[in-house]
Amino acid sequence: MSPPQQPSSTNPNSLKIRLTHRFLHNLNNLNKKRSNLDNTQIHQRYNRVKLAAYASMAHVVGSRRAWSRAILWKIRNRKVSTRHKRVDHKPTNHHHARSIKRRTTNHSNPKREYVDPNGNSGQEVKLRKLVPGVETMDACGLLDETADYIKCLATQVEVMRNLVDLFSTI
Amino acid sequence: MSSRRSRGTPRITDEQIIELVSKLQQLLPELRNHRSNKASASKILQETCNYVRSLHKEVDDLSDRLSLLLSTIDDDSPQASIIRSLLN
Repeated sequence: MSPPQQPSSTNPNSLKIRLTHRFLHNLNNLNKKRSNLDNTQIHQRYNRVKLAAYASMAHVVGSRRAWSRAILWKIRNRKVSTRHKRVDHKPTNHHHARSIKRRTTNHSNPKREYVDPNGNSGQEVKLRKLVPGVETMDACGLLDETADYIKCLATQVEVMRNLVDLFSTI
Repeated sequence: MSSRRSRGTPRITDEQIIELVSKLQQLLPELRNHRSNKASASKILQETCNYVRSLHKEVDDLSDRLSLLLSTIDDDSPQASIIRSLLN
């Protein structure tokens, strides 16, 4: 397998293959839950497909990256909170999850000039809001995580595009 | 961007940040063709934000289309069996 020390162990070809497998697997699970279709179900299906996309990205990368850990934790937390309304376990991630959740619900807010306690402003803060899991990272880690996140996201988009093309021509 | 000195971590140098920023530049579709270091850090960061946002939107859009496609597949048609075999 790939050596553990390699910083960019994501060879695009193998990443694409792994992403395709995982995404298809998630889609299959999604299909199994199928029930009768109506408008609400379609919106629900859209959300599930989107969730499957991010979930497969995060699963393929695993816990190697802060962004994938954040996504995995968010997913697990979402499943727990739909049943128990409790957030548990890691106290450090507790604050993380809440700020992540808040970020996703405030997605439609107009952009405000925001200076965080560290004195960052402008682009860096915007970037921290876009990439999951990097809120408390230093500048180096932020750039590194962003590069990896972009690579995976672009590959995931490519996988989905191929699938859409395939499904629409069958 | 580099005006902030990281506290308590003297290992982070400007060279490291420059290297990471140029690595980021290579990933961005807009700036990749420039092939030079002329793009400023703030421009790269801005392009990065825009690119991530556009990728998020593409995921949303593709999820929408995928969900529609999956829902319009009739269960008994030959297409469905092809897709089923693919999904397994």
